[in-house]
Amino acid sequence: MIRSSENIIIRTVSRVLIPFIQIFAFYVIAHGHYSPGGGFQGGVILGASLVLLLITYGPQETRRHISEKSLIVFSSLGVLIYSGIGLICLLLLGNYLDYGELSGLLHVAPAKARSLGILGVEIGVGFTVMAIMFSIFFDISSGGEPPADEKK
Amino acid sequence: MSTFFLTIGLGLCVLVFCVLYRVVFGPGVFNRIAALSAIGTKTLIILLIMGFIYGRVEMFVDISMVYALLNFIGVLAAAKFLGIETEL
Repeated sequence: MIRSSENIIIRTVSRVLIPFIQIFAFYVIAHGHYSPGGGFQGGVILGASLVLLLITYGPQETRRHISEKSLIVFSSLGVLIYSGIGLICLLLLGNYLDYGELSGLLHVAPAKARSLGILGVEIGVGFTVMAIMFSIFFDISSGGEPPADEKK
Repeated sequence: MSTFFLTIGLGLCVLVFCVLYRVVFGPGVFNRIAALSAIGTKTLIILLIMGFIYGRVEMFVDISMVYALLNFIGVLAAAKFLGIETEL
C-alpha cells in the first residue's frame, strides 16, 4: 500500500509538474503524425502523470481525482471510439478504418478526412492506454483490495 | 561538426560505464539510486547529441523530454519502494 508523501519538495514539484506532463501528453497525441509519438505514447505519458499523482498524494487523494469506475469507463470509451470510427468507415461502403470515406460525412477533402480520422483513432487509443496503464499500477500498488467505503 | 558531437557522445558513453560501477558495486541503496539518476541524465544528453548528428534535433527533443519525465518518476518510485524518502 502506497502512503502519501510528507516531503514538501516532492509534493510541490509534483503539483507544478503534473499539469505540464498532461499538456505534453496531449501534444504527443495530437502531433503524432509529424513527430515521434501517437496514441500509445501519449497515453503512457498521461498514465505516468497519474502514477506520479498516486505515489505523491496517496490512494485516497487520487481516487478523489479519478475513480476506478471512471477508469473502466475511459478504457471502454477508447475502444468504442477506435472501433466506432472503423465501423463508420465500413458503413460508408469503405474498408475498415478507411478514413477517406469520412470525407462525405465531415464535408472536407479526402486528405483532410484521413488526417482527422487518424487523430480520432489516436485519441481513442490514448484514452484506453492511459486508463489501463494506471489501473494496472493502481491494482498492484493496492494489492487488489477494494477501497474502504466499497468493502461492504 | 559531426565529429565534435560524436566525440562528446562517445565520452559520455564512457562516463555512463563509470557511473554503472557505482550502480553495481555501490555501497547502500542511496548510491545506487543517485547513480541511476545520473545515468538517466547522461542518456538524455546522448539522445540530444544523436539528434544533432542526424540533423533532426526537433524530433529528439521530444524523446528526451519524455525520457526526463519518466526518469524523474522512476527515481521517485524507486525511492518510495525502498522507503528511504524520510532519510533524504
